[in-house]
Amino acid sequence: MQKINKNVVLALLSLTSLVFLLFQLYYYKFYLSQKNGAVLSKVRGGQLGQDSTKWHVVRKFLGLISSHNIPVYLIDPLILGLVDKDIEQIRSSPDGPSPECKYFCAPRDFTTFAVLDKTWKHEAGLFRTAEKMGFQWLKIINKDPRLDGMDDLSGIEIPLHYIFKLASHAIHLVIFYERSGNYLWHGPLRLKKHMDRKFVPFRKLHFGRYPGAYKKPELLLVSIDDLKVQIPKNPSSFLEEMSHSRFLECRYREARAFFQLYPDDASLDAVEFRKKAKSLLHLAALTLNNLGVKFWLSSGTCLGWYRQCNVIPHSKDVDLGVFIKDYKADIIPAFQKAGLPLKHKFGKVEDSLELSFQGEDDVKLDIFFFYEEVDHIWNGGTQAKSGKKFKYIFPKFTLCWTEFVELRVHVPCETLQYVEANYGPDWKVPVKTWDWKSSPSNVQYNGVWPVDEWDDVIQIY
Amino acid sequence: EWKPNPAIKPHKKRSWYLAWKYKLMNQRALRKLCQTGAVLFLLVTVIVNIKLILDTRRAAYEEEEESAQDYDDELLNVEVARHPVSNKKVLDVEVYSSRSKVYVAVDETTVLEDEAREQGRGIHVIVLNQATGHVMAKRVFDTYSPHEDEAMVLFLNMVARGRILIFTIKDEGSFHLKDTAKNVLKSLGSQVAPFLSWRDMWTFVGKKGGEVYGEKHAKSPALSTWGDPVLLKTEVHLTSVEDAECHWPDTELNRRRKRFCSKVEGYGSVCSCKDPTPIEFNPDPLKDNKVFDVPVAVIAGNRPNYLYRMLRSLLSAQGVNPQMITVFIDGYYEEPMDVVELFGLSGIQHTPISIKNARVSQHYKASLTATFNLFPDAKFAVVLEEDLDISVDFFSFLSQSIHLLEEDESLYCISAWNDQGYEHTAEDPSLLYRVETMPGLGWVLRKSLYKDELEPKWPTPEKLWDWDMWMRMPEQRKGRECIIPDISRSYHFGIVGLNMNGYFHEAYFKKHKFNTIPNVQFKNVESLRKDAYETEIHRLLGEAEVLDHSKNPCEDSFVPDTEGRVYVMFIRMEQEADFTTWTQLAKCLHIWDLDVRGNHRGLWRLFRKKNHFLVVGVPASPYSAKKPSSVTPIYMEPPAKEEGAVAVPAVAAAEQT
Repeated sequence: MQKINKNVVLALLSLTSLVFLLFQLYYYKFYLSQKNGAVLSKVRGGQLGQDSTKWHVVRKFLGLISSHNIPVYLIDPLILGLVDKDIEQIRSSPDGPSPECKYFCAPRDFTTFAVLDKTWKHEAGLFRTAEKMGFQWLKIINKDPRLDGMDDLSGIEIPLHYIFKLASHAIHLVIFYERSGNYLWHGPLRLKKHMDRKFVPFRKLHFGRYPGAYKKPELLLVSIDDLKVQIPKNPSSFLEEMSHSRFLECRYREARAFFQLYPDDASLDAVEFRKKAKSLLHLAALTLNNLGVKFWLSSGTCLGWYRQCNVIPHSKDVDLGVFIKDYKADIIPAFQKAGLPLKHKFGKVEDSLELSFQGEDDVKLDIFFFYEEVDHIWNGGTQAKSGKKFKYIFPKFTLCWTEFVELRVHVPCETLQYVEANYGPDWKVPVKTWDWKSSPSNVQYNGVWPVDEWDDVIQIY
Repeated sequence: EWKPNPAIKPHKKRSWYLAWKYKLMNQRALRKLCQTGAVLFLLVTVIVNIKLILDTRRAAYEEEEESAQDYDDELLNVEVARHPVSNKKVLDVEVYSSRSKVYVAVDETTVLEDEAREQGRGIHVIVLNQATGHVMAKRVFDTYSPHEDEAMVLFLNMVARGRILIFTIKDEGSFHLKDTAKNVLKSLGSQVAPFLSWRDMWTFVGKKGGEVYGEKHAKSPALSTWGDPVLLKTEVHLTSVEDAECHWPDTELNRRRKRFCSKVEGYGSVCSCKDPTPIEFNPDPLKDNKVFDVPVAVIAGNRPNYLYRMLRSLLSAQGVNPQMITVFIDGYYEEPMDVVELFGLSGIQHTPISIKNARVSQHYKASLTATFNLFPDAKFAVVLEEDLDISVDFFSFLSQSIHLLEEDESLYCISAWNDQGYEHTAEDPSLLYRVETMPGLGWVLRKSLYKDELEPKWPTPEKLWDWDMWMRMPEQRKGRECIIPDISRSYHFGIVGLNMNGYFHEAYFKKHKFNTIPNVQFKNVESLRKDAYETEIHRLLGEAEVLDHSKNPCEDSFVPDTEGRVYVMFIRMEQEADFTTWTQLAKCLHIWDLDVRGNHRGLWRLFRKKNHFLVVGVPASPYSAKKPSSVTPIYMEPPAKEEGAVAVPAVAAAEQT
């Protein structure tokens, strides 16, 4: 009797596990097929290359926006890339009907548009209409960086991004803000805790991983795929700009902490020097930008930005860095024309080039040229009286935009490494006496210029 | 004989089953196999299970990572703890009144506590929402001083019916409590109010237009002493939310209105259920508006009723662009922000830095910097304060004159305020002046002036300076001048403020002239440029009739009974900073005399009896040459010391805040 029971139990157990197993296998398969299916359908859409739903969504969105008189412009890198190939033709026939859907049907997850903050109306009506048209929308807001540098202002949060989703396509609308320094800024896209992380595949967005800085674009109204839309006048230069648009906000909080420790110098001299340094930097930026020479804040000026978001009042000069590959012979005459005579020139284009210009009363503008090696970047220094050469070594870096004294300028993105290389781990402590030949922690003795070259490599005016 | 029967088959089948079972039971090996199979099955199930779990989790994780890996906000949004919704129907209210302390507690939460010395004298009023018990308004009316009772009546009349009102007196609240006010209190159900007298203590809780929840009173036994402290404890029954709200049509504007009206009280008809006052004004646009894109910074503190009045007038001015308006609130006050939101404007709060005048000064700096940060394209900013009425043609005035500020380097600002523009001294709505003193009170600041000169050396928090006094100092002003209208385009209505009180306001601000005519075309805009203005002044002095200097300039008869003429008088002014006679003259003319305002190179321009009236300081003024040799400049002696002590130098900068 016992034996029978045991067997029955065993059989029942086997049966249930079999049922379970089958169910789980089925579920697993169902789950897998769902996932693969999504991938498959995407591939299919891509192969066709003609997905009119995307076009329809874009058309609906443009209709929505224009019914509220909001001027948006296209900044989608994929579409602009396609447009750029045919730009001549598009420019010449702004109204021509297009035979096929060439641009807006291209495979992608998003179409990205931009709008300027001042033309963007924060009206609830737009969203109500959008909802009526079937759009789902998501708004991403955050602190207003234009008030970040201000001691204790708490502004309202500002909208940075909107996403309008319809069917399988989404429109990403990036809000651009004008900032001091005559440029446009867009914010990073950061999701708050309660937000729907799966609203769209955020990772595939082209804008929003970092904040970005752009020139104010010139726009062109074109008709592509039978849709009238504004695009940047020169798509290729916009795309170029986009690839280097990353923006770093000054570290205002740290700067405030710094000033708590070391109160700011509010003397009249300091105020005067800052004013002069600012106008010199503005003039230098104007001159170099006109020449198309890319430059960044270097040495003390960079430290001032990074540590205290301001010019260091006891630094007494303005320092810029330029890659030697961007060197142009016109630099010297251009500065002279701008009223900044050459003070000295050390080194030569092939080696350790450094230019100094004389600004208004004793404020000096130093331009250091940087030489790129495989694993590091360096610039040179020369001691005039002895002909000794010095080398300052930096880890490799890329350039980011930032705002400094109402100017959009470049700084090394890897600013901490840059500053630490130059000033050592104690860069947070202000130092009033600084010897450029021995104080920097990255200085290396680099021999002596041959005496016969001195006339060329040590020029003092 | 036995024959096999086919019907027996089932029996046979059963036996086969039994046999099979028997066989199975007997074959140990097979049984073992079955058991192992079952165990295997179980094992596989477990493995598949685990795999499934792992897989699902990995997939889910991947997806999440894919969607938002770099996009998480590193700043965790701290959820603000909501007050638990209480379903309580009864509120316990405690009200205390005494000489040096008052407090009000609702359900054991203190909603008012004031024991500061020499502050908060008078009647404290608190309004509670009858449905939620939330504090909707808190006011103190210093009814020891004149006119404060009028303000209280005004306030009480504005409170909606059904709200719960709590009153308590600190120190003294009856000296200037007139009968009108007493009657209003009586109509609210107070039995004591009509008999309130000197230094009585009093508390009262009642519903507007309804029942009385309690009243306590302690009479002052003698003039020199106060009544005993009184403590009133009572219960208030709450009503339902629907009863406490109005039913306006559901529009965007009304949603803003509803939010506002359920939070605060004391704004009158904006919250009335029938026919509420509009909160959108849509004034006529200006043709060729040159200041449409100029940002407007409204500097505010915690005087929400002032802010409300100010914003109403601002938004009603022709040519206003609400998108350019930012209200800067000094401190984390809720009610001013509610007012800002009611009008759909943007507001920014500022953590107070420093104290008193320096706090105002730091707030100004932060507000100006923020304004130019928010509107980097702007070349100018309009600076307003929360206690100003804005004239209907304020923007028209600026639009007509702003190009001067852009082109004429010798200009410091454009201001809507004429310090000397009183009812009896201002006349011409289309006339503008150049003056050496910066009046403030609604003015335009050039960005370059702020960014290059003022911002870098703005007084630091530890310097307890007035920002406007600082701006008037020669180091900052550098000889530049401001353009002002003869008739002010702003009106200073603030009675409570840092440097302000009722007496002072009545003496210096109440009778200020304020333009109410729209679309005034200014006639002499081009002649306001530096050199043209001199030509203009010389022309004016050339045609001016010299008044009889033997008469007393303070007398009305000093100026003939004419209209539209130009008269000139000469006063003694030994050097540029000698304002002895001017100050005396200003005093007797009842214009601003606390410091020197409105002068242009030793010349003052005003109106008397509708005649243009010029005052030239001789010999310091370059216009002294116009004085006929026969005329001796008038000299007026400053009063003797005792009398002089009346002038309060500390309030010299009083018009600000």
